[in-house]
Amino acid sequence: MIELNELKDAAQKAFPADQLSPDRDESWKLIAEMGWLMLPVPEELGGLGLGRDAATALHFELGRVLSSAPLITAMFSVQVLCAADKLANKAEWVERACSGEFITLNMLSNDVTLNDDGTLSGPLYAVPDADMASHVIVFVPGLSVLVPLDTDGVTVTERPLWDESRRLFEVTLEKCPVDRDLVIAEGDRSQEIGLGFKAESLLALAADSLGGATATLEMTVEYLKTRKQFNRPLAMFQSLKHRCADLKTQITAAEALLWSRAADMDASLADMGALKALAADVYQFVTEEAIQLHGGIGLTDEHQCHLFMKRAMLNLSLGGSGDELKERTGRQALAAFAAK
Amino acid sequence: MTEGTELAELRQEVRGWLDANAPTGWRDSNDDHEAFAQSQREWFAKLVEGGYAIPHWPAEWPGGGRNLAEQKVIYEELARADTPRLLLSFVSTYHAASTFFECGSQAQKDRYLPKILEGETWCQGFSEPNAGSDLAALKTKAERKGDVYVINGQKVWSTMAQYADKCLLLVRTSSDGPKQAGITYLLMDMKAKGVSVRPINQIQGDQEFCEIFLDDVEVPVEERVGEEGQGWAVAQATLASERGLTLMELSYRMRGALWRIAELIRKNGLEEDAGVLRDFGHLVARTDSACAIADQFLRNRIDGIERVGDASIVKNTYSRVLREYSLLGTRLGGMEEQYRAPITFGDLNTGNWMADFMNSYAWTIAGGSEEVQRNIISERMLEMQREPKNWVVS
Repeated sequence: MIELNELKDAAQKAFPADQLSPDRDESWKLIAEMGWLMLPVPEELGGLGLGRDAATALHFELGRVLSSAPLITAMFSVQVLCAADKLANKAEWVERACSGEFITLNMLSNDVTLNDDGTLSGPLYAVPDADMASHVIVFVPGLSVLVPLDTDGVTVTERPLWDESRRLFEVTLEKCPVDRDLVIAEGDRSQEIGLGFKAESLLALAADSLGGATATLEMTVEYLKTRKQFNRPLAMFQSLKHRCADLKTQITAAEALLWSRAADMDASLADMGALKALAADVYQFVTEEAIQLHGGIGLTDEHQCHLFMKRAMLNLSLGGSGDELKERTGRQALAAFAAK
Repeated sequence: MTEGTELAELRQEVRGWLDANAPTGWRDSNDDHEAFAQSQREWFAKLVEGGYAIPHWPAEWPGGGRNLAEQKVIYEELARADTPRLLLSFVSTYHAASTFFECGSQAQKDRYLPKILEGETWCQGFSEPNAGSDLAALKTKAERKGDVYVINGQKVWSTMAQYADKCLLLVRTSSDGPKQAGITYLLMDMKAKGVSVRPINQIQGDQEFCEIFLDDVEVPVEERVGEEGQGWAVAQATLASERGLTLMELSYRMRGALWRIAELIRKNGLEEDAGVLRDFGHLVARTDSACAIADQFLRNRIDGIERVGDASIVKNTYSRVLREYSLLGTRLGGMEEQYRAPITFGDLNTGNWMADFMNSYAWTIAGGSEEVQRNIISERMLEMQREPKNWVVS
């Protein structure tokens, strides 16, 4: 636990709360220097082999400051590389990825198919920060492989988001050859790897959401304490106070679930999905309320409210919609809570 | 989720014991108060015998000394087996027991704790008609006359006082100084001369709460807990148990009872209804988070890092999830839940979801209303400015 606190402190020092939306490329350099990409890497591969709670702590802190560095994606791809069983020079790849070579992968489903001639074609949607990535990891049924983004037949197009703290690209493959040395895994193993770390990315998104929600509420409460109308601070009005208390309650309860799931190595993909859906709902509601509680200033571009709101809205969709994730949880529970 | 071997063994042990001992057909006595009370007494006695009635008590008590993980397993299994919650002995095993453990004299501990296990029941005499959310404004007066206090006044919202043998009573021994400073904590015999109890008819048709009228009731001085004027602090110990351990039991029971919603979904052929599955999935996540926050709260309390307001967050979370839970059950149950069902006492599994929904208000209102908790969270945790004191309303 001490380790976890040290990590949180280090993250808060590197990314101070009063500097929102730090520059992406600077942040990325800092993240690589701090060795954070090595956290989930097993010790035998030169990593720190820390549990999921360590990564969760970082994602929470980076969510607080609306970090635009693609740590969630990078940790996902580093873990996929660590789990590779076909990759030539795997140790070297892991080292490259840990020391800051960004390898991206798509956060939503893709429409890539494996052609009869062994090449790959089709689009990958919502690929984070492809502009700074060297490779993209492509999953197709029975195969996962690294595809260099400078290969002939790869087109990278940015699709600008409302949320300016994140950048997503559409990557289209047109008859891209599969380099056998870059195959990560094949058959069921490939699928297994993809799903295994999908759960971790949902946990990461939940942490990002609750970090952001925490910062948003702190900012809002601070504003209400300072802003005066009718000769008193707005914070003194019970109608506003109670709304803040409810937000605090929702954040705290969801955060308790976050840490319990981060520590639970047996949590299923559906369990992590349920957590992400809950956390993203909380984040959305907190940021919706934050703008309302700020009043007109909350609608101005110069105020930070909207930055959190836009990220919260994006988090609702990243990793799968709440509708989809809740339905999956309901289905799992229906099977688990069999009649007495 | 997989469990360590020891917990899994405990789960099997509890499950095996419940297979042989869990009461069945206990809802059949829902139209008869006496029969319900009797079935509660019998179930409590059986749980004491089995060693599962007081897992949260210290280890020197038979069935006590269970760690938090073990307690949770027991509560989940009790709910899974659809056993009735111990409504009649709730205040005795939590509120009264915590008060004795933390503030009672040795004589009080020796006299009352064993009796609780024998089935002596307690009620709480805290709220008054004009002292609800503002509990410290209570006026029931106690005058010291020799070796006794003579008490006059009225209490309200006393859960199951009509069956209680004893009462945890807050009285005013002084009107000087701050209102909290004049409060004293007494242990009153409900059969004492001058005590009369009137059950209150509630919206769900039961009479869980009572008024207690006190007319020159004499309570011996040795039945005082703590010093005269220290009652407010003692009352905090009583209430702290409610916001901690009881909410952990209730949260895990709620989790253990999720099969009841699953059963409704199956019964109504809604297994493939995406909307219903989403609502169920959301409720499962909310229930899990209520369990997680109750866990976190107790761990923090044990580690001595509880903060002001933590308990309020736990309570407001549980009570809201309970409302959502009973509302989803009522909705899925459809018309069937709208036919009036005979209810003796409330819980989250009376067998009628509409009744459960109405009962859920007990948790958003009793024990410090949701609004009072919001004040605590906003003013003491978020440090939002308080309203000026001493409002004068003309």
